[in-house]
Amino acid sequence: MTIAADDRRLNNMPRTEQTAVERRDRMFGWLIASPSLGLLFLVILFPVFWALYTSVHDYTLIAPNFDTFNGIDNYTKALGDPEFRHTLWLTAFFVAAVVLLEFALGFLVALMLNSVERFKAIYYAILLCPLLMNPVIVGLIWRMFLHPSLGIVNYLLSLVGIDPVNWLGSTKVALWTIVMVDIWHQVSFMIVLLLAGLSALPREPYEAARVDGASALRSFWHITLPLMLPVIAVTLLIRLIFAVKTYDLVYIMTRGGPGVATDLVSYFIYRTAFVGLNIGEASAMSAILLAVIMGLTVWLHRYMRSLT
Amino acid sequence: MASISLSNIHKFYPNGYAAVRDVSLDIKDGEFMILLGPSGCGKSTTLRMIAGLETISKGDLHIGGARMNDIDPADRDVAIVFQNYALYPHMTVIDNLSFGLRLRGVGRSIIDQRVANIADMLGIGELLSRKPAQLSGGQRQRVALGRALVREPKAFLLDEPLSNLDAKLRSAMRTELIKLHRTLGTTIVHVTHDQVEAMTMGERICIMKDGVIVQVGAPMEVYRNPVNTFVAGFLASPPMNLLRGRLSAQSLSLDGTVLALPPALGQAFADHAERDVIAGMRPEDFHLKADAAASTVPVEVHAVTTEVLGPEVILVATVSGEQGAEIHIRCPRDFRAKPGEIVIFHYDVSQLQLFDPETTYALKRPVQI
Repeated sequence: MTIAADDRRLNNMPRTEQTAVERRDRMFGWLIASPSLGLLFLVILFPVFWALYTSVHDYTLIAPNFDTFNGIDNYTKALGDPEFRHTLWLTAFFVAAVVLLEFALGFLVALMLNSVERFKAIYYAILLCPLLMNPVIVGLIWRMFLHPSLGIVNYLLSLVGIDPVNWLGSTKVALWTIVMVDIWHQVSFMIVLLLAGLSALPREPYEAARVDGASALRSFWHITLPLMLPVIAVTLLIRLIFAVKTYDLVYIMTRGGPGVATDLVSYFIYRTAFVGLNIGEASAMSAILLAVIMGLTVWLHRYMRSLT
Repeated sequence: MASISLSNIHKFYPNGYAAVRDVSLDIKDGEFMILLGPSGCGKSTTLRMIAGLETISKGDLHIGGARMNDIDPADRDVAIVFQNYALYPHMTVIDNLSFGLRLRGVGRSIIDQRVANIADMLGIGELLSRKPAQLSGGQRQRVALGRALVREPKAFLLDEPLSNLDAKLRSAMRTELIKLHRTLGTTIVHVTHDQVEAMTMGERICIMKDGVIVQVGAPMEVYRNPVNTFVAGFLASPPMNLLRGRLSAQSLSLDGTVLALPPALGQAFADHAERDVIAGMRPEDFHLKADAAASTVPVEVHAVTTEVLGPEVILVATVSGEQGAEIHIRCPRDFRAKPGEIVIFHYDVSQLQLFDPETTYALKRPVQI
């Protein structure tokens, strides 16, 4: 029999039963993965399913039971609630603002840091400081900084002749203030991830481009940006998901106010559940939010993959 | 096409390390010049200085007669092929080939025509829509070469372009590069640490070590007359045997073994009589039969092992007893010797090279006899 014929015969052979070694390996795999799988089930899958189950029942903290099944009532009520729709739009605006601004700023700083040769570790350490802080502490610090009459920000502005700004008390300014504080807190995350991506880029294509006649700007446009797309996609995705969930800053700094000016969806859901005591409807809102985030994730992932 | 002239070029790094020192080299218009040397000898740095990817710390670089020290790489009109190809990973082959031309604002129809010509010349026509990750090493190598060719530069700078290929492909690409040079006639500077590439491809070889040029010359000239023991030991595989010995008026004593020198050769080295020397003996200058015409002298060796390569056999043996210095001898393919066996060879003393043990540089070359 020729070798080619032999190969064909081997390829056409039916898949054999698992050997004892393969079975043992599989068992061992399950064994070492089971503690983490158990934990994941306990803290993620169970709450998710519990919330989904609750979302189709009339479950309140006054009558905490699953006696009344009400189908999609909680969902239609949530989607029909103008306040909930308002928080969704507000959150979308907030997310777009922080993600885009943090990305632009983060990429700029990452590019600058990537070309720095000395004291890189020191810059890193300084940049990481905000990221290491708890969001509650960040909120408290900035609430003090931005106090209309006692805060240092307005004091500094007064030194250059600018009138005091009601950072957290004005409906026009409050959301932008939260955006600004979030950028201060989270931009380092973008910088660190993008910088890791930049420093992993191969050096040779840049040299080839220099000899080919590419300016720094064209190298950035034709080489850096396309090569960075996978890293950019992951960075944007992670940041987007975290931004949708923003809760702590709002809770500490504005409690959703003034009025509903900073009433982001996570905070609104919290209020519905633990202030309005309507766990069923809050669960339905959470499920809607989950669907939106998953949809966004899939879209962004596909879009970025189509680009690369 | 253009000549490339390096005058007293130096490269110092900020930490004070001198990667290249006082390199002066004139590469003629249309010449195929090889920069050869071991890792860290400064050959790639020299090439990168020609390309403009490294600044020149001291000295002058002229390409086509114009001083290029402060000219941007893009404006030097040279193309470089990198060791790992440096293709743009996100671009298709056709985009990789045309990128440089597009940056220079060349018209679409000219780009298409040139890319088609190059793709045809290199046999990569059917790969144009693929990305580098979908190509084999040899195909990537061709695309990298194509990217350089398509620009029709004054000179090609090749930085170890064959070292990532397997032996068979490397040999094929060597031939292709030689043919390409013949067709285009463009100046090529080819950096390599592979002495086979150097010997087979270059019109001239420039051998470097520790940042300085050791010897420049045509391949056979460098092979026959290495200026020092470094060049002697670097070129060819197995390299020249280097044995410590002592020269007297009519003989050369190698660790107890005495080679009688013909009168003419003795006279040629008369100035160096009665001194210690390093004798350089090429493995192919040992013959199994005496040849009066080639002025051979008998040498007795102790076989250590034989390496049967197919077309030939390399005998590893010691001179002057089993504890003597090891040498390599190129033997006919049917030659065999058991370990410890004594074999008598006839060494062609007319090919003997002698080096100064202190300076390692060659003593006055023996006259051809």
